[in-house]
Amino acid sequence: MTAILRLESRKLVRSSLVLTGLLGLLLAFVLAVFPGFADEAELIEEAFPPVLLGLLGIEEIHTIEGFVGGYVFSLIWLLFAGIYFAYASAGMIVEDVRTRRMDLTLSNPVSRESVLLQKVAALWVPLVALHVGLFAVLFVGIVVIGETLDPVTLAVAHLFIVPYLLVCAGIGIVLSVVLGRVESAQATALGLVFVCWLVDGLSEMNSEFEWVGAITPSRYVDPGAILVHEEYAFADAGILLIAFLVLLGVATALFVRRDI
Amino acid sequence: MSAIRIDDLTKRYGEVLANDGISFDVDSGEIFGYLGPNGAGKTTTIRLLLGLIKPTSGTATILGTDIRDRRALTERKADVGYLPDSIGVEERLTGRQVLDYFARMRGDERRDELLELFHPPLEKPVETYSHGNIRMLGIVQAFMHDPEIAILDEPTSGLDPLKQDRLHQFLERERDAGKTIFFSSHVLSEVQRVCDRVGIIREGELVALEDIDALLERSGKRVWVHLAEPVDEARFATDEMIDLEIVDSAVQFTYTGEYNALIDHLGEFDIANVEITDPQLDEIFKHYYGEGTPMERTDGEPARGG
Repeated sequence: MTAILRLESRKLVRSSLVLTGLLGLLLAFVLAVFPGFADEAELIEEAFPPVLLGLLGIEEIHTIEGFVGGYVFSLIWLLFAGIYFAYASAGMIVEDVRTRRMDLTLSNPVSRESVLLQKVAALWVPLVALHVGLFAVLFVGIVVIGETLDPVTLAVAHLFIVPYLLVCAGIGIVLSVVLGRVESAQATALGLVFVCWLVDGLSEMNSEFEWVGAITPSRYVDPGAILVHEEYAFADAGILLIAFLVLLGVATALFVRRDI
Repeated sequence: MSAIRIDDLTKRYGEVLANDGISFDVDSGEIFGYLGPNGAGKTTTIRLLLGLIKPTSGTATILGTDIRDRRALTERKADVGYLPDSIGVEERLTGRQVLDYFARMRGDERRDELLELFHPPLEKPVETYSHGNIRMLGIVQAFMHDPEIAILDEPTSGLDPLKQDRLHQFLERERDAGKTIFFSSHVLSEVQRVCDRVGIIREGELVALEDIDALLERSGKRVWVHLAEPVDEARFATDEMIDLEIVDSAVQFTYTGEYNALIDHLGEFDIANVEITDPQLDEIFKHYYGEGTPMERTDGEPARGG
């Protein structure tokens, strides 16, 4: 029973390629300014308001590791890619219900659990497209600007992003099951991921409020630590994976019980 | 054996009873017409049968499978074909891709045979389809896996008369081959043409369940007569006429008595023109099941039967 997975995967190909192209372009521009940026990094680090540094989790921004881990990963992966995953999954169920496509889908001998899981599984398309595309752009870009960055460490940093993106998708799919309108599900998912990212960054700047950031998924992924210090937070990745499974479980439980 | 058994099925949305304690059986190998005006609750019953919505109380079985048993019902759907009132498919796919998609989930051993009868433009994207083409695509997908039961929600809406006839003939052949057809419609004449038995639903309640012949006997005929000269009502009217309207020399009424008596009676007048037709569904309701809220015209574009 992979008909739904095949169709949903196909539907995601175009948007995944467009997003990979756009983020790749953004990545290339950001990398192009790095050499000039690194020369004046100290000045910039002083000139940057601390709020902004904290928001992006920037440290050692004058090194390519710090720059990529703090600036590039935070913005491109945690924010933009996170939003895409939440947005894409938020449309999956509610859109089919609204357009009555779900009626015909469920008239087949296929369980609701299977429908939901196949739809979420189709997110392998943007996952692979973004990772392969952006890794390639980053790797080539770094070589072109005359810097070096260990490709294995970079690949590991990429891998640790996956659980984070899955949690974003989990948030989206729960909203897709709960809310009755495509626009509200997608807007809520998008807004929620953005607010979480913001709250995490802001809460880190104030020790009194740091605990608030503990409920945000981006707290449990730190590409800077992987690239700069080679610290792999397996426990944090585990927390994200569990959170994803819980969200998926909640979405499934709600979906099998509700009226279509 | 009953192919479909509906037992006190009730669905409540807040204050509204979309289905109110509906009970009836559909036998194996019959074409059952589920008749009612738009908004009467036909689609609600169908969506309950498919497990898309849950009954508030009561239940139903399809080929012996209880609709409340989610897992069993999922497997049972391999034996069920469904044509929704509004067909939702991925619009960017071509007709062929849509059929391929459903074929992967439940097979398509009869696809080619069906495409000879109903031929939507398979190579074009569904978003370019006319209403009739979408309907044909829906009919093909509903029958291509050779289901034991076909549940059809307003199957002929949007089809041209030729295709409607073709569908009716096809349904009769399926019935003769032992298949069960559950057929919802708001058009009496269509139900009358193909159905063996009919259940009539109105405002969520089943108001009649009878053989089609019995229903037609009770529903009478709509008669319009144009006389050569103006006529006096007292002279023209008989006890079997309902809703008699006389405007100058034009007379219009519903006739519920013997046809011979009607012809004899009309023979006493000089008739310029005459038309005898089946009454509209809402007229039947009005006469035989009591007055209610004004119903939609049955000759308009069908809305969701929900």
